[in-house]
Amino acid sequence: MSPDINGRPSGGLIEPILRVHGATKRFGGLTAVDRVSFEVRPAEIVALIGPNGAGKTTLFSLISGFQPLDEGSVSFQAKDVTNFAPARMAHLGLARSFQIVQVFADLTVHEAVTAAALMRHSMGAALRKADETLALVGLSEKGANVTPELSLQDRKLLEVAKCLATEPKLILLDEVMAGLTMSEAEAVLKVVRRLRSEGMTFVLVEHVMPIVMSIADRIVVMNFGQKIADGSPAEIIEDRFVRDAYFGEDLHA
Amino acid sequence: MRPEFFGIIRSPFLWGVIVLFAVLGQWASPYHLGIATQTMLYIALALAWAIVGGFAGQLSIAHNVFVALGALLASALFLRLGINMWVGLVLCAALSALIGVFFAYLDSKFSLGHLSFALVTLAFGEVGMLIVAGWDFVGGASGLSLPRDQGRLLNFEFGGARGYFWAALALATVYLLINYAILHSRLGFYLRTLRDNEAAAQAVGVYPFRNKAIAMAISAAMTSVAGTLYARFSNFVDPSFLASPTLSIEIILIATIGGLTTPLGPAVAAIVLVPFSELLRGWLGGQLPGLSHIIYGFLIVAVILASPRGLVPLLVKIFRQRGGKDVATISMQKGA
Ligand SMILES: Nc1ncnc2c1ncn2[C@@H]1O[C@H](COP(=O)(O)OP(=O)(O)OP(=O)(O)O)[C@@H](O)[C@H]1O
Ligand SMILES: [Mg+2]
Repeated sequence: MSPDINGRPSGGLIEPILRVHGATKRFGGLTAVDRVSFEVRPAEIVALIGPNGAGKTTLFSLISGFQPLDEGSVSFQAKDVTNFAPARMAHLGLARSFQIVQVFADLTVHEAVTAAALMRHSMGAALRKADETLALVGLSEKGANVTPELSLQDRKLLEVAKCLATEPKLILLDEVMAGLTMSEAEAVLKVVRRLRSEGMTFVLVEHVMPIVMSIADRIVVMNFGQKIADGSPAEIIEDRFVRDAYFGEDLHA
Repeated sequence: MRPEFFGIIRSPFLWGVIVLFAVLGQWASPYHLGIATQTMLYIALALAWAIVGGFAGQLSIAHNVFVALGALLASALFLRLGINMWVGLVLCAALSALIGVFFAYLDSKFSLGHLSFALVTLAFGEVGMLIVAGWDFVGGASGLSLPRDQGRLLNFEFGGARGYFWAALALATVYLLINYAILHSRLGFYLRTLRDNEAAAQAVGVYPFRNKAIAMAISAAMTSVAGTLYARFSNFVDPSFLASPTLSIEIILIATIGGLTTPLGPAVAAIVLVPFSELLRGWLGGQLPGLSHIIYGFLIVAVILASPRGLVPLLVKIFRQRGGKDVATISMQKGA
């Protein structure tokens, strides 16, 4: 395999930070996630793509402990964490955002991020961490607002800020850039790249292909609950199976 | 602890009001002192309840069980077994905390929603009432009478109307500070995130059961302690009042009408409502029994319609418009 864009070796030398094996989730007759296996290496940015209903969000919920797996296993930092409670996953260093933005309606933006920062800090340090994190995502001016006063874009940034404030090793971001303008998305991407260069690992669900192509080291493609492809952006573009199942014809639009 | 907390405990406004009450107590008649003591006890009960009902957002209707435990069991232990009421106070508080943790366990084990939690606690409130009524040790349906107060503090006797007023004022003050301390601490943040959105709270590492159980335990213990003081204050411990879920509803009304986003809410509401309902009963009770309840009820409806989030947020808004600052800090109201 070739080195990734940061010059890190992307071969099998490094122990994966996340390993999902045969993950399966059924809702009645529907298999939302069907024997999905994949690995994520430290400081990697993996994009998880697939059409609506492919099972991406459900897969995130299985990994982060919000829904129990029917079959399969998840290991995080070489430790079996299958069906661990969500709060415990957070403490281990896994953060997730919610596609349907989840707000603390009665907390100010600053308080919400402080609550997240309290996971690793005392009150004084958490308050400072919240300042820093809000500055990082560009929400400093909105600190005193309560979440219902925020625009959808700002709520998404708040989701990211809450994740970051827990100082995770791995972040699962579920469509945080959907609905952002290109320049807003670019700002988020900048933060992602910077944090990755500091060693943070990302799995992103995004529908906007230019974003995916520009940021991902590797792309995992799902369709009807199954993983149908896994490779570098270049490999994924060339993958006939992916083209047929997912992109249709118009990939470069 | 958030810096705001230290601002509050240094607030001249807050201490001014408390000192004012203490001073007024010097001149009040025993009748008015009785009403004032009752008010302070309701403040204490409403503040204790607000830790669960306000910060954690769990509608517990079982808090009468904790009042009854603190009042009846501590009295019974003293009357039947000669156990000092201070010791009884601690034992009952500990037992209440355990029962509180049990409620939190049920909530988490069966993932009760808001409504089911309320109903389950209501059921326990009723069961508590039945147990008390059928259990002679705690006085059964007829209640318990405590011996005359001789003012021996070591025996949990505070000596007359003024003594109980001081004790109740001190208790209410301590509870107010506890509520502020919790609100501005880690626990307060965690409870508020759990109340607003349990999934999002878990995602940032907040353990639901652990934090709700701690809140329940603190709230239940505080409620029980207020119950013990209530028993000694009123000498006669009436189970049909102290053990009935109606008392829970009364506490909830006071806390909610005052506003749950700030500890000032329950305090202000009790100061307005308890004397009002007592005096109303005094004025009208003779000629038209029941009318006082109707007027009281209308007042409550009026407040809820005027400001669904409670009395204090409404007052703060008015105060803000006139440029007041101190009240806004201690009431912790963000925005208008
Ligand atoms: N709690 C649930 N109960 C029943 N069915 C569910 C549940 N959650 C998801 N599903 C179904 O599972 C399938 C996968 O849903 P999921 O939300 O994981 O897809 P997704 O890839 O995230 O889609 P999108 O791109 O629209 O966000 C869908 O058919 C969805 O309707
Ligand atoms: Mg989704």
